[in-house]
Amino acid sequence: MDAPDAALRKALVADDPESLLTLPELADRSGLSLPLLEALTREGLLLARTDETEPRYHPDDAEAVRAGLELVEAGLPLGELLELARRADQAMRPVAEAAVDAFVRFVREPVEGTAPTDEEAATRLVDALEVMLPAARRLVGQHFSRLLIEDARRRLARERT
Amino acid sequence: MADPLGRDPDHVWMSTEVSLWGWGEAARLLPGTGHRRMQALDEAFFDVVSGADIDDRVGLPGTGPVVFASVTFSPRSTGTVGIVPRVVVGRRGDDWWMTSVDDARPPGRAPEPGAEDKARYAGSSLPDVLWLERVAKAIERIEAGELEKVVLARDYAVWSRAPFHPARVLDRLIGRFPGCHVFRVADLVGASPELLVRRHATRVDSLVLAGSAPAYADEERDTSAARNLLDSGKDRWEHELAVRSVREPLSGIGADVTVRDRPEILRLANVQHLATAVAATVPEDWDALQLAELLHPTAAVGGTPTDRAFEVIGALEGMDRGRYSGPVGWMDARGDGEFAIALRCAELSGARARLFAGAGIVAGSLPEAELDETRLKLGAMMVALGAE
Repeated sequence: MDAPDAALRKALVADDPESLLTLPELADRSGLSLPLLEALTREGLLLARTDETEPRYHPDDAEAVRAGLELVEAGLPLGELLELARRADQAMRPVAEAAVDAFVRFVREPVEGTAPTDEEAATRLVDALEVMLPAARRLVGQHFSRLLIEDARRRLARERT
Repeated sequence: MADPLGRDPDHVWMSTEVSLWGWGEAARLLPGTGHRRMQALDEAFFDVVSGADIDDRVGLPGTGPVVFASVTFSPRSTGTVGIVPRVVVGRRGDDWWMTSVDDARPPGRAPEPGAEDKARYAGSSLPDVLWLERVAKAIERIEAGELEKVVLARDYAVWSRAPFHPARVLDRLIGRFPGCHVFRVADLVGASPELLVRRHATRVDSLVLAGSAPAYADEERDTSAARNLLDSGKDRWEHELAVRSVREPLSGIGADVTVRDRPEILRLANVQHLATAVAATVPEDWDALQLAELLHPTAAVGGTPTDRAFEVIGALEGMDRGRYSGPVGWMDARGDGEFAIALRCAELSGARARLFAGAGIVAGSLPEAELDETRLKLGAMMVALGAE
């Protein structure tokens, strides 16, 4: 593997292995029970960050499952949430694949073709990734939130007539 | 639904063998709680009929005075009830009859009921996120060797902007679940695939269902799900426990029992079950209610061993099942009758109702799969109550 790819890989895997959590630690951190977290991992809704013998989870995952629990606490039955999550997972996988394709074709390959040195290419790729990942998260989150609001407004309008 | 007299019946039983429609109440029998509540109901019914002057010119199972009965799952729950209608219209094949108490006649045509709304979710006795954790606890106890199987149920409370129509709920259940035992007894309405006991003189039949898989419209997928079900060690084990829980008590009273050694597939609209027919010749002093008491609860609704399963259900389920998963059916004055297990049912109360669904937990069960199975079953009942 050449230097730019190695740098990307490193940026993608994890910041600090020490900061990663085991499933019981994730349970403590998020307030979700261990059996529930185990169910989420079996459903593929919670993905481990490393391939080591004991799976480890990013602290951000605690925030995500905590958000799920908030939906449940606000009244959405867990069974319905899991069904929605399965559908979202299915719908978003091909989008994720297409987005990574676009990154490869329009960000990585131009950088690799134009950067004067491997070191420079590595820096530029990692910088791009660090901007793009959180930006994608904000973009998709905001878009879904807009869709929810639009649909709710349409329904309210329909019920009024 | 067959509605021979214009007005919706207050009490209904429809099976492949016999249909009974009842109006009014000549007697309401309330045997209270306890392990012998079915025996108490039996005695109360025979108290009523022993004082009666019976003129039965048809003489088939279901003719003459009958009691419609619905029994609680747990001996501790209140709600067990028997109703002797004032008028019963019955049908067996091409034979039709009417039985009336004190020459009562069926009431005339009722005013058209108002428009229905639909079933709307109101909540559950136990939030499903906790139910999932309880299922995980049950699996732990099973894997620790404390018991082999337990059935855990959960409920939906539902509401509607207009009162539910029991007859329309029954119509939808019949449309969706043909071949099931359809019942309405004291506003417990449902369509159960599971025959606990049919007694005709000394001949007794029971149909055991345990172990299930989804049914699919796509034939190839459906056949492969059926094959996987027949090959699944987990489901075959769960089924074997349920068959045993019927065969052993019958053998225990000296019945001659015949059981096929391999289950078959019983396919319904949304689910397919492993099914085994049990046939027996029993001593004639055992009537249908007493046989129901003998066999209830089978491992298909309680678990194995029964006592341990009851304890786990009490500790983990977090609700009172009421008459859900209890025997429901009818018996005549000869002691003939049919009892199904009250599954796929709803307890109606005006514009409110309670729906139930359960799942059999054995070693290797996954809590999220059981949650989803009960979610789909409850969704089907919501549709029967008029949800989209």
